[in-house]
Amino acid sequence: MGAIQVNDVTKRYKDVPALDHVSVTFELGKIYGFLGRNGAGKSTLINIIANRVFADSGEVLIDGIPASENMAVHDKIFCMSETDLYDRDLKVIEQFKWTKRFYTDFDMNRALTLSEKYRLDVNKRFKALSKGYQSIFKLVIALSLSVPYVIFDEPVLGLDANHRELFYSLLLEAFEEGDRTFIIATHMIEEVSNIIEEVVLIDGGRILAQESVEELLESGYSVSGAAEEVDGYCAGKNVIGYDELGGLKIAYIMGKKNALPKGSDLQISAMDLQKLFVKMTERSIK
Amino acid sequence: MKMLRSAISYGCSTKIRPLTIFYLVEYGFFALIMAIVVLCTGNAALNPRGVEISSAVFISIMGALSFKEDFKAFLQNGFTRGYIFLSTFCSFFIVSASMALIDTLLGNVLRHFVKYFTFFGMLYGYGHMLTTWLLLTFVYVMFCSIFYLAALVINKVGKTASLLIGVGLSGVILLIAALFRFVFSPELVSRIGSFALNAFGFMNDGTVELVFPILTFTVIGAVFWLGSYALLRHTELK
Repeated sequence: MGAIQVNDVTKRYKDVPALDHVSVTFELGKIYGFLGRNGAGKSTLINIIANRVFADSGEVLIDGIPASENMAVHDKIFCMSETDLYDRDLKVIEQFKWTKRFYTDFDMNRALTLSEKYRLDVNKRFKALSKGYQSIFKLVIALSLSVPYVIFDEPVLGLDANHRELFYSLLLEAFEEGDRTFIIATHMIEEVSNIIEEVVLIDGGRILAQESVEELLESGYSVSGAAEEVDGYCAGKNVIGYDELGGLKIAYIMGKKNALPKGSDLQISAMDLQKLFVKMTERSIK
Repeated sequence: MKMLRSAISYGCSTKIRPLTIFYLVEYGFFALIMAIVVLCTGNAALNPRGVEISSAVFISIMGALSFKEDFKAFLQNGFTRGYIFLSTFCSFFIVSASMALIDTLLGNVLRHFVKYFTFFGMLYGYGHMLTTWLLLTFVYVMFCSIFYLAALVINKVGKTASLLIGVGLSGVILLIAALFRFVFSPELVSRIGSFALNAFGFMNDGTVELVFPILTFTVIGAVFWLGSYALLRHTELK
């Protein structure tokens, strides 16, 4: 089974640790949500996988092949970056032509069709595009490449709701076409929660969790009610955070749900992915 | 190999537009100066020299900019640093050779029609067009390599450290000048001077050997290109 394997990768920027002995596997044939707060280490790890920065120690393997400085993985992986790495003076159509020359599996027709769907003017230079359309241009390239592993770093930056929806549906369409892996690093957690299968949660340069969305959501729940009652229920449980509003208190708990005491006014609810992420990363900081 | 060819084509094609603009502007200015000289003096003989010098300045700027622009684009497209270096070197060699060819041909044409003497023509003569073209190619490649390395160093160490390095280098130049003026014996200065002249093709018997400057510029260029490769291998996206 193919995979991107990140083995014990460490990276420091001067005295600041960006990644601390990170090990994670992205298997072929899944859509991953790669979630983390700003500065958590997402982009650093993505850049190491894409051979843009070097790890201080550890290694990245793509289908068992070392990814660092190795052209053998060129046609296996593509990384759509948040930062603009394209030549700003080239027209969109010229960028497509060059991508076609650089990659064996770039579908020019698909790129042109997607450009039409997004109303992306292919005769405009990259620098003349708005921020949103620059993101769309990068998405079109990534979605027109049939490489096994595609990483999207903040793919919907500057996109309006319609364009974001279109991206998610196109992504699922592309996913259904073959055995491929999409890794989406994003802050729009709620939006991607329905399309991702597995979540990799990173914080402070360490992997906090790697689980399927289902498992992760089942691993926690929230209890709300009067503060005293909530505190009583939470005693001895793994509480990852609280929210309070007047006399109402909500506790976010990791672990198996216990039945509520008889006659209790407490309410148990499932946590959504965003809330779980917020509370887990808040706790990590504390 | 196909990928390398594509990368070299990319490196060359991104330089065609600025190169065309450069030559249009350069020879536009040239024509303007010539028109003014002819109108004012009635004489078509031109004194200003600068075709190759302006080409060297232009290609130096391209060398520095190439790192900034092409490096990022190549990383985006999954190229390794080894491929990036090879494609950069090859594309600069092609661009340098093309510019040298234009400058050599136009230099010869201008000499016949408006009595314009290029700087290189004055130094090395016009007798060997092929060798002059080769020589000019290696000069341009050398300038590329110096500024490509400079861009890599600035990227690596940052602005402040680069300025300090610049100050340090200026100091070294002054020190060398002082050594020649006050420390070295006249015999040693004379021997070094003679060696330098030989290295640039000016032999002791008054003849000019074009092979020596070609070798000299190749060696200097090679040193800078090797330095660039050593740095590029460890360069990360910022």
